[in-house]
Amino acid sequence: MAVHSLTVKQILSRVRQVFPDAPEAYVISLINDALTEAGMYNVKTAHAKITTVADQMWYDLSDEAYSSDGSAYKLDLNKIFRVYFMDSSGDYMQIPRLLDKDLLLTDISSESALVSPDTK
Amino acid sequence: MASSIKYPDSSCVYFIEGDKLALVTNVDSSGTQNTSLRKRWKAIQEAVTDGLLLWYHAEPNNINSINDVPDIDNSLHYPIVDFVKKCLYMDRAGVSPDPNASSVAMNMAQFHENKWNEGIKRYGMRKRDKVGGTRAIKLPNLT
Repeated sequence: MAVHSLTVKQILSRVRQVFPDAPEAYVISLINDALTEAGMYNVKTAHAKITTVADQMWYDLSDEAYSSDGSAYKLDLNKIFRVYFMDSSGDYMQIPRLLDKDLLLTDISSESALVSPDTK
Repeated sequence: MASSIKYPDSSCVYFIEGDKLALVTNVDSSGTQNTSLRKRWKAIQEAVTDGLLLWYHAEPNNINSINDVPDIDNSLHYPIVDFVKKCLYMDRAGVSPDPNASSVAMNMAQFHENKWNEGIKRYGMRKRDKVGGTRAIKLPNLT
């Protein structure tokens, strides 16, 4: 038994009860605005895998960044809440987030990879 | 290919600056400690295919056609109607030459904005939360 959900067509028909002349393309644009705003309130959880690069310290999390697990989807990331790294057995182990970044001292290879994004 | 790091939970850390994630470690590609007290962390020194696994809150996919279903929990679909109506009422208030009609449209825009805020921001977590059941209580051993 399927759950009840609203398609864009149904949303449009509800809107047109009050605004009969509402243009379809404009309503679709407004729905996308609503989804973008709703995305700020943790409405969707996802995971992605990224391939590490030797001597690269920084990995791109911007809206245009891709995961590297072969699915070729963009990260579309708002907030990271857990990070795992693969250990020598091939299992993913959760790694901690460094809070005191002022203590960090990196080597020259890390600094030179400062702006290299991880892309496919 | 697995990494050479046996205990990433104690050898690797990450931090985030803006839209970049930094992955640093204190061991080299053979798993041997290679940092000092002064230089505590270095960039990871090996390429590991799919080595990082991130769990994150994502943005919903956008919709393109009239038959698409919004990419969020179905309990959050109804506030979307309010969001659209809010915007259309504000448009109407902006273009209406009649001040009374404009005022009514602004009131309706405010009404639908409140419903949107309640549906997504105030009660959104309650609607999409999948956690249920009795919690187990673990008492400390006082003996």
